[in-house]
Amino acid sequence: MGWKEAELMRRRNVIFGEEEVSCWIEDGMSVGIGGMLLSSHPMVILRQIIRRKVKKLRVVGSILSSLDIDLLIGAGCVSQVVAPYVGAESLAPIGPLFRKAAENGEIEVWECDEGMYFAGLRAAAQMLPFMPWRGGVGTSYPEVNPDLKLFQDPIRGETLLAVPAIHLDVVLVHAAISDPYGNVQHVGTGFGDRALCRAAEKVIAQVEKIVPNEEIKKYPQNTSIIADAVIRSPFGAHPFASPGFYVEDRIHLNEYLFAANALAKEGDERPFADYLKKYVTEPETHFDYLERIGVRRLFSLNEF
Amino acid sequence: MNINSLQRGSYTIRELMAVWISRQIRDGEVVGGGGGTLAIARAGQLLAHLHHGPNMRFLSLVSMNLHCCPSLSLSLFESVADWRVSRWAEAYWIPSEIYDQLRLFRKRVLFISGIQIDKYGNVNLFGMGNDFRNLDFRGPGGLGAATGTTYAGRYYIFAASHTPRVFVERCDYVTCVGWGEGGKEARRKLGLPGGGPVACITSLCIMDFDEETKRMRLKSVHPGVSISEVIENTGFRLMIPPNVEETEPPTIEELEILRTKVDPEGLLRGSD
Repeated sequence: MGWKEAELMRRRNVIFGEEEVSCWIEDGMSVGIGGMLLSSHPMVILRQIIRRKVKKLRVVGSILSSLDIDLLIGAGCVSQVVAPYVGAESLAPIGPLFRKAAENGEIEVWECDEGMYFAGLRAAAQMLPFMPWRGGVGTSYPEVNPDLKLFQDPIRGETLLAVPAIHLDVVLVHAAISDPYGNVQHVGTGFGDRALCRAAEKVIAQVEKIVPNEEIKKYPQNTSIIADAVIRSPFGAHPFASPGFYVEDRIHLNEYLFAANALAKEGDERPFADYLKKYVTEPETHFDYLERIGVRRLFSLNEF
Repeated sequence: MNINSLQRGSYTIRELMAVWISRQIRDGEVVGGGGGTLAIARAGQLLAHLHHGPNMRFLSLVSMNLHCCPSLSLSLFESVADWRVSRWAEAYWIPSEIYDQLRLFRKRVLFISGIQIDKYGNVNLFGMGNDFRNLDFRGPGGLGAATGTTYAGRYYIFAASHTPRVFVERCDYVTCVGWGEGGKEARRKLGLPGGGPVACITSLCIMDFDEETKRMRLKSVHPGVSISEVIENTGFRLMIPPNVEETEPPTIEELEILRTKVDPEGLLRGSD
């Protein structure tokens, strides 16, 4: 084999830059976003999506979504939200901009509960048109979300709910490590990330650290996701937590909520516009963003 | 509501509610869920475990089957997603797997809340308003409540505030079916395997359901609360039986565990 052939036979590296890979996300796509509540949202890519002014996304959040989606809504990127919850627990029981946009009809909420959410993802993963589900029978779910349809099951004749497959063009997750070939490992359960990725056409994973392939082979049972693209993103879930690395930045989340509440509750656009400018549009890359946050703050977010 | 009026002697109404919740849970049952917004329910579950439930299991939203331990206090981890709670885990599964083992829910005792609750224990978490695309008030969304209440062995409805805006004749939308249109066969007719709601606890009282009609019925009022206060704050005609007791106050033992182990920071002693 000559050197050229040998070069062709080399295993393909899937490490991408954040700007390059964010171009995979186009207007109108169905985009899944991993993590849960105050943990593990792929903020590096989400900020790139806002900078690129991507519009009309169908955003499929995590089972319990948070201010990641609230931010995307505030930045005008979203037309539909698929998520059983959008909020920040005791910090904000409901995402303020999510609530405002839903009440004003600026976004459509594809109502589903956690069980239906996983049923829809499973249908997509198994390339089935729908998955039967019982939770929600007798409720207003089929009324508030006409895509959920009651039907008579052909086996026992029971009334069940058909949950259509939740199609995903691309899924974005934040995890602990990956090798250069897209073998991703989480610390902790990875929340609903696996279920999202199984339903997706393409998976983009930001990771705290890119490690050599040998590290992955030490514990192959820990590999949770095979990604099509990997982005090196230390502190990439900030202001949210990243299991095994740092906890959520409550000071920053409150700064966000102050700006979002001013817009949602008082119609004062200035604080939110300032937030977007300071933390999203002015810093051009993730490392510019981290410089704005500052090392002292970042290194104060310890798990111990 | 005046905060001071919530202080009844040496405990707060929030502590009283946590203690009542604790008494509903039997040893060996499965509990779980509950974030910062449901601190009272979480406190009640931990109290039950430390007071009389050594065989209870705690199914966390971070997906661990946890036999919790005495040092797991209420304020330790403010976020439900905080993975550090796994230091007490005895089993570990990903969230979608919780919905692959709904048989487990037969042993599960659930506590749910709502923005509207009607006389048959149906609960609305979606929002208020006639037009769903243009709601007057958007609620938090359904979370896992529809599936949980379909399968849970039994469940309790929980209302941090008791007002006519919350307790309504009819919910604008139903996120969780309780007793539907009423009657003890209501759930069986819908094919729902779980036992349904058995009681409702609020800042004023405890209510249960009439055995035949499954209409909500006053069971006990919290110390210092009058029956007429409950009636005035309920938007539907509540059944009032001849004997309405006073909610039994916490014992010294329960309060001691609650304050020294479950809630040493006093989250439940603060104002509502």
